[in-house]
Amino acid sequence: MSREPALMTLTEVARAIAMKQVSSREVTRALLHRIAQWQPHLNAFMSIESEAALKAADTADAELAKGKVRGPLHGVPLAHKDMYYDAGKVSTCGSLIRRDFVPSVTSTALQRLKDAGQVRLGTLHLAEFAYGPTGHNAHYGPVRNPWNVAHITGGSSSGSGSSVAARLTYAALGSDTGGSIRMPAHFCGVTGLKTTVGRVSRAGAMPLSQSLDTVGPLARTAEDCALLLALMAGPDPEDSTASHEPLSDYVAATKGSLKGLKIGLPASFYVDDLDSEVARVLDETIAVLKREGADIVKVELPDQRQLSAASQLVLAAEAAAFHKRWMIERPQDYGPQTLMRLQNGLAVPAISYLEAMRWRGPALAAHNAATAGVDALIAPASPVLAPTIEESDVGGGPNAPALLQRLSLFTRPVNFLGLPSLTVPSGFAKSGLPVGMQLIGRSFDEATLLTIGAAFQRVTDYHERLPKLPS
Amino acid sequence: MTRPTTKEIQATAQVASVPVNEEIATRISSSIGPAFEGFAAIAGTLPFDLEPAHYPLAQAAKVSK
Repeated sequence: MSREPALMTLTEVARAIAMKQVSSREVTRALLHRIAQWQPHLNAFMSIESEAALKAADTADAELAKGKVRGPLHGVPLAHKDMYYDAGKVSTCGSLIRRDFVPSVTSTALQRLKDAGQVRLGTLHLAEFAYGPTGHNAHYGPVRNPWNVAHITGGSSSGSGSSVAARLTYAALGSDTGGSIRMPAHFCGVTGLKTTVGRVSRAGAMPLSQSLDTVGPLARTAEDCALLLALMAGPDPEDSTASHEPLSDYVAATKGSLKGLKIGLPASFYVDDLDSEVARVLDETIAVLKREGADIVKVELPDQRQLSAASQLVLAAEAAAFHKRWMIERPQDYGPQTLMRLQNGLAVPAISYLEAMRWRGPALAAHNAATAGVDALIAPASPVLAPTIEESDVGGGPNAPALLQRLSLFTRPVNFLGLPSLTVPSGFAKSGLPVGMQLIGRSFDEATLLTIGAAFQRVTDYHERLPKLPS
Repeated sequence: MTRPTTKEIQATAQVASVPVNEEIATRISSSIGPAFEGFAAIAGTLPFDLEPAHYPLAQAAKVSK
């Protein structure tokens, strides 16, 4: 065992437990110790279930001693965004409305991780109903960025980004409807995989927008994301939209080389008006990819602002439809930011919503044609570094609305097209805040993204750097 | 397609049984308005036979390198 258990990657700790180099109890205790230190600073956890987690860890250790192995995550403690239903356990969805909601079903994604042997540590904080790009939450307070607690984590998977970065869980489920995995990955300096629409079942995951919602992991490495994707991906009788498209060997894909791969750099939009530190990191990342054998070519993409606009119309209409009953009966129980976002859907006529949905096929076909010569695209996950919690709040001043729009500028088009995208820690600003680049792939080709991400992480150490515990 | 006016928003919100006052409608217009403007070049231009179900077909289409 090469290092402190809490600092291992998911892959390393799963192997160490399986080989009995460390017990599930030891690693669970190590994480609980870090959680006790960090939680008061970060507010990353919604619930911490220390006693139950240690009991489950003891069971896992006893099973292992008898030669029983549940799966690749046997005895590995994990926590997930508090919107993945776990039958009989409260799932707040980050809301007051569901503060005491106890689901009767377990989400398919979570069940598959449980079947693989994970130990439940607790649940992670999120934006109210997963509808917010910053990590603010009017009911439970903001989640804070481990690299600088005055700054946002990004949302909506705010607790997932914050806790993985601070090494409080080895990985966490997030969800991505408009950038909710990739923004926290970028702002918190962790690896986040937004999957192709349909790649992972959404059954039992709180819905926000049925056309755009995707389930995916945030973890310390691309290899860890591959391990989790391999466990979760595939058809599901509980979700008719879960795809039957063939799966890849995602873990094997992380061993691949960049040689012979062509990576497209968008000629515009994703390279325009970048924060200077984001621009520098993009250049440095491209240099590393070239050095490792990738061919970088410029690509002219269709108008990304149209995609972003269509994405906003679809999200607004679908979210408002899900929430209509509570908007009528309990408007006072929403936080102001969430209610304002939901009310936007009231302005979208059915014909506009359906036009956007009808355009989705040709928009993806046009994207496929424009990117036919490359294996993946590279772009910043966001044009900006993490702003402060104060400046990005509703009352954060006259620039706050424009700032909020900019945060997710580079993520929304990908959601409309339903493409997979892997955000990888790619550098740090002088201020110490992390910067992530997103690799955007073809539909159902997560494997190529994982190949590129893992190859990049073999020759860089940004994903290994640790934030310091605030004094 | 232009951004919906305050009156139009109040009317659609009323039809949805979630009425909003003029102040909220004005805020909604300025918040979602840019999305309507961004989509304006597409709106009203789509071929007659196009359905949302074409999307999974585009997803499944093999893209040659």
